[in-house]
Amino acid sequence: MLAPVLLFLFGWVVGSIVVAANPSPYFAALGLVFVAGMGGSVLVLHGASYLCFVLLLVYLGGMLVVFAYTSAMAADPYPETLGSLGVLKSLAVYFSGLLIVCIFVWGRRGAESGDFSFEGDEFGMCRGDIEGVAYMYSAGGWTLMTCGWALLLTLFVVMELIRGPSRGALRAV
Amino acid sequence: MNPYVLAILLFGLGLGTTITFASSHLTTAWMGLEINTLAILPLMAQHHHPRAVEATTKYFLTQATAAAMLLFATTTNAWITGQWDIQQITHPLPMTMLPLALALKIGLAPLHAWLPEVLQGLDLTTGLILSTWQKLAPFALLLQIPPHNPNMLIILGLTSTLVGGWGGLNQTQLRKILAISSIAHLGWMILVLQFSPSLTLLTLILYFAMTFSTFVVFKINKSTNINSLATSWAKTPALTAIIPLVLLSLGGLPPLSGFMPKWLILQELVAQGLLPTATITAFSALFSLYFYLRLSYAMTLTISPNTPMGLTPWRLHTHQSTLPLAVCTMTTIALLPLTPLSITLFTP
Repeated sequence: MLAPVLLFLFGWVVGSIVVAANPSPYFAALGLVFVAGMGGSVLVLHGASYLCFVLLLVYLGGMLVVFAYTSAMAADPYPETLGSLGVLKSLAVYFSGLLIVCIFVWGRRGAESGDFSFEGDEFGMCRGDIEGVAYMYSAGGWTLMTCGWALLLTLFVVMELIRGPSRGALRAV
Repeated sequence: MNPYVLAILLFGLGLGTTITFASSHLTTAWMGLEINTLAILPLMAQHHHPRAVEATTKYFLTQATAAAMLLFATTTNAWITGQWDIQQITHPLPMTMLPLALALKIGLAPLHAWLPEVLQGLDLTTGLILSTWQKLAPFALLLQIPPHNPNMLIILGLTSTLVGGWGGLNQTQLRKILAISSIAHLGWMILVLQFSPSLTLLTLILYFAMTFSTFVVFKINKSTNINSLATSWAKTPALTAIIPLVLLSLGGLPPLSGFMPKWLILQELVAQGLLPTATITAFSALFSLYFYLRLSYAMTLTISPNTPMGLTPWRLHTHQSTLPLAVCTMTTIALLPLTPLSITLFTP
C-alpha cells in the first residue's frame, strides 16, 4: 500500500505547487480539484472512503463550483497559466524548495499511519470515519454548533467586506 | 456600519476570545483564534479606503499564516504523541512551533514587521481593539504551553524590546509609534513568561490600561501625527496636563505604574541569574523612553498656552465617553503603591 500512497501524496504536493504558482483563479481552482482528488485517494487508501466522498461532494462539487462561477463573473478575461514564463519561474522555485525538503526527509521513518476501518470478528465493520460523523452530531453537538456559527460569521464577514459596487477597494467593478 | 452586522462582529470578537480562554483542546483554541481574526476584518476595512483595505489584507494574511502554523504544530503533536491537550505538550517540535506561531499572532520581533503597517492603516478605535483585545487569546495559550527551550523565549523577548526601542526613534506617525511600543511591551512580557507567568499577566493588564489611555487621548484630539498633537492644549487642557504622565508610565518611569512591571521583571530576571539579559532589556527601555518623551514634549512641554501661531482646529464637543479614560488614566498613573496587592492578585 505504500507505493500508491506515496504517488498520491507526491501528486498532492505537485498540485499544491500548481495552485500556488498560478496567477489566474481558474487554473488555480483546477489545481485545487487535482489536490482534492489526490487527498481523497489517500483517504480511500486508509479506509476512510466516506470522508473522501464528503470531500469531493461538498468541497469540489459545492464550494469550488461556486468559486469558479463567481470568479468567472468577476475575474480576468485573459488568464495566464502554466505556459507563460513568469509562472514557469515560480514553478521552478517551488520545485527546488520541494527538492530541498525531500533531501532532508526522504527515507526517514515517521509515525506509522493507521487505518480508519477494520473488520470485526463477526458480521460487521468498524468504520472510523462514519462513527466520527455520528460522534460529531451527538457528543460533539456544541462544537458543531460553534463551527456552524463560525461559518455563518465568515459569511457575514465576506458580505461586509465586499459590500457596495465600486465603493470598496477590493473589487474591480 | 449596519448595527446588526456590527453586533454580530463584536459578538464574534467576544466569542473567539472566550472560546480560546475556555479551551483545553488545541483545536478549539485554534477555532477561537480564527473567529477573532475573522470578526475583526470588516471592522478594519469599514472605511473602505485603499489604505484600510491594505491593512486588512496584511492582517488577514499574517494571522492566517500564524493560525496555520498553530494548526500544523497541533496536528504534529497529535501525530507524535496522540493527545491534544495544551498543557500536556512534551515533544520539542510542537513546543517550539507553538510559541513561534503565537509570536507571529501577537507581533513579537522578529515576526513583528506587519504590526506597524497594519496599525497605521486603521482608525484609532480599531487599532485599540487590535492592540488590546486581540492579544488576550494568544496570551492565554502562551501562558499554558509548558516551556521547553529557555533561550527561544528570551531571544524573542530581547529582540522585541530592542526593536521596540530602535523602531520608534524616527517615527512621527502616532499609530506606528503605538505599534512599536506594543512590540516593546510584548517583549517584556515574553521575557518573564517562563519564570513567572503571573508577572506576564500583570504586565499585560497594565499595558492594556496604559495603551487604552493613550489611544483614547489621541482619539479625542483626533490626531494621528506628532504635529497635530501640538494644539491639544487648546482642545482639552486637562488631558494635555495628564498625558505626559501616561506616556512616561508607558516608558516605565517611577513613581508611575508603568514602572511596576519593569521593576518586577528585572528583579525576576536577576533572581534567575540572567544579568546581561536584564541589563540589555533595561537599556532598551531607554530607547522607548526617548520617543515617549518626544511625544510628551510635543504635546505639553514645549510652550505655555498662548496665542496660537497658526490656524487652530475646531473644538467640537466630543461624544467620547470619559469614564473608561478616567479609570485607565488613574490606573496608569497611581497604581505603583499597590504593587504587593497587584502581585497577589495575579499569582494563582
